[in-house]
Order: sequence, then C-alpha cells, then structure tokens
Amino acid sequence: MYPEVYDVALRSFSISLFATILALTWSIPLSIKIASMKHKVRDVIIGTFNALIGFPTVLIGLLLYLIFSRSGPLGFLGLLYTPQIIIIGQAILITPLMISLMYEVFVKALSEYWELALSLGATKGQAYRLIVREVSGDVVVASLIGFTRAIGELGVALMVGGNIKGYTRVFTTAIALEVEKGEFGLAIILGALLFIIVLSIILSVRMIKRRIK
Amino acid sequence: MIELRDVWFSYIDDIYVLKDINITFSKGITVIMGPNGSGKTTLLKVASCLYKPVKGKVFVNGVEYWNLKYQEMIKYRRRIVYVHEKPILLRGKVLDNIAYSLLIRGCSKVEAEEKVHKIAEKLDISYIIDKDVKELSIGEKQLVALARALILNPDYLFLDEPLAHLHLSRRKRVIEALKAMKDKVIIIATHDPFLTLAISTKVVMLDEGRIVRVGESREIVKEYIL
Repeated sequence: MYPEVYDVALRSFSISLFATILALTWSIPLSIKIASMKHKVRDVIIGTFNALIGFPTVLIGLLLYLIFSRSGPLGFLGLLYTPQIIIIGQAILITPLMISLMYEVFVKALSEYWELALSLGATKGQAYRLIVREVSGDVVVASLIGFTRAIGELGVALMVGGNIKGYTRVFTTAIALEVEKGEFGLAIILGALLFIIVLSIILSVRMIKRRIK
Repeated sequence: MIELRDVWFSYIDDIYVLKDINITFSKGITVIMGPNGSGKTTLLKVASCLYKPVKGKVFVNGVEYWNLKYQEMIKYRRRIVYVHEKPILLRGKVLDNIAYSLLIRGCSKVEAEEKVHKIAEKLDISYIIDKDVKELSIGEKQLVALARALILNPDYLFLDEPLAHLHLSRRKRVIEALKAMKDKVIIIATHDPFLTLAISTKVVMLDEGRIVRVGESREIVKEYIL
C-alpha cells in the first residue's frame, strides 16, 4: 500500500546505525580519557556533556548547515543534502548522551578492573582487553540508547538532509512531510514503525542490563 | 623483601594519606592495623607497587621498582599479588575467574583448570567452581578472589581484610593456607585483632598515615584493643 515505508525504514535504520558507530569511535576514547582525569577537571567536562544532551537538534542542524553550505568553510566537500551529513549530524547529536552514559562505566572499570588486572600481573594490553570485555555490555547499552535518540531526531535530518525522496528521507522527516500534506495514514504507519523500533530497542536495553547485573 | 623508604602518598594535591613511611617487609606474615582512614589500604597498594608514591622509593628485593623499564616491571609485578577488600570478580564462571591470573601468564587452559581444581579443593570451594559469579554470596566471592591470588603462589602477597566476609568455619581454612606460605612475604591489612593474633607475630600500627608502632602482635593488640 505504501511502498515508500520500506525504503524510508531501511534508510533511517542504516543512517542511524552508521551515526552510532561513528559516535562510538570518538565517544569510547573520550570517555576513557575523561574517566582517567582528575576529579575536578572531569566533573566540569562531564557536567558540560550532561548539559549538551539537551542541545536543540535544530541548532546542530543550523551549525552544520553554515559549515557545509557552499559558502561555508567545508562547503567544498559537497556533503550538504546527502545521507553522509545526516550521519555526521546525528553522531554529533548523540555524542554527549553516549559519553555521559559510558563515562560512569569507564570510571568504575578503570578504578576496579584496571587495578585488578595489574594486581594480578596483567600487562597494559591485557588490562585494556579485560576492561573492554567487562564493559562491552554497558557500551552496547549506551549505543542502543544513542541509536534511539538518533533515529528519532528531526532537526538535523531536516536541515542538512533536505528530506529528498529516495535519498535523504528518513522516518521523522517523512512523518513531518506527510502530516503537512494531510496524508495521515502514511504518517501513522511510519510513526508506529518508528515507535516499535524504539520500543524494541528500549526493551533490549532492559534485558541486556539485567544480564549484566 | 619489600622496602619503603621515606614514602609519601596523596590522592589529592597536598593532602597526604601516607606520611614519611619507612618500613621493610620481609618473609613471614606482617599485619597492618589502624583505625578507619589511617592509610592501611593505601599502604598496601603502595607497597604492592600498584600506586606510585608521590615522594620516596619502593624497593623490591633491593631493586627500585619505579625506576625499572616496563618489561622489567612486569616481571616483578608478576611476583606480587594484591587482593582487594571488596572482591572484584570478572563476568562469567568461578573457574574462569580463578584461571584468569594463570592464563595471562601464558599457562595452557588444561593446566590452568587442573590447578584451579586443586586450589578450590584446598579452600573448600569446589562446589561453586562451575557457578556464575552472579550467584555467589559475598563470602564465596571473597574466597574466589583469594583462590585467584593463592593459585599463583606469589612471592609477595598483599591482602586487604581477607576474612572480612567469611564465616568462622571458612576462616580457619584460609588462615591455614596462609600459614603454609611461610617462605613468602605476606602483608595483611585488618581491623580484626583475632586474625592478627592467629596469624602473625609482627604488627605495624598506622594512625593518620604514619607508622606509630611496630611490634609483637600480642603486645600491640593488648595495648590498643583489648
């Protein structure tokens, strides 16, 4: 009935998945770095990241637009209105959330598992491997939460993605467009699908958390 | 032998939790006693070369540990084992936890498992060997952490409140196992005067980060506690 649904769902899912992976590449080392800092410094930094969780998505969209528009400093890359720029924007958007979630995990891991590994004669490499093994469940949880935030955001996808049919149209931009057009049937289907995806992920997070405990 | 010479340690800026510590730990069991916050745990961690002192030197068998190259440090590090007061266990089975310290030393899985079964028998924890650590009581967790240390037969063993969570019947086994390691350097931090009397003759009393007394266990326990 609505052939566009499958296309939008697949694109939304893959864009947010890549955004989460991209955010992980810098969020993990940053979280470890912050966790290993002195108390006062890390409190200020993590406080800032906590505050940035609520940063308006449209403002991130606006900043990226200014940077990547043709007259902007990175305009020559030609990324505006591409899926890649949505990936970058979503990755930036979820970074404060992921760092805030992973920071506590790494503080505990560094104070407990790092010391434990060394106390048992592990090399630094073995100690890092142990930490990665022990926190992997928590990192997956943080990633899933980050993913739900990314897939449900509108501001970045709309402002720098441009909502181009078959190219940058994702769940949220498609819903907004369909409502504007008065096509509530498709909007409801897309909304319900997005809700099911987010709900499934949140339930998975709960299950993983229970297993970790 | 582990020697601490003019050692000072602080976690935050100039607030020292260890002040001018001069002590040598030689073969046998030494107990460190003192009130809460006196620096017992920190002293153990500095002496076991987990924490680098802010000032002063730590010698292991006459070699200044913190001046060693990384590869040398690892060699020394592997002869020293520290067991935390609150047992920290890895995810998974008890067997994997105890075997971990052997596996990182390149021991084969088969050999490691064999040794795990022996130490488990010695500490009477064979019945939990295949259990997930999530299913253990705090006392069982402490025994697993002890087994993981004892299996290495280390030259230097540092134990922070090793019997804190153990039932009386279990304590005897652990004390016997430790007493059997007379040719090793064992340092125990504890509040427990009964453990002190049962296990050691040498006691170091700490107060506000300073060593206030080194002496015979009966004498010190009588003077400070009984």
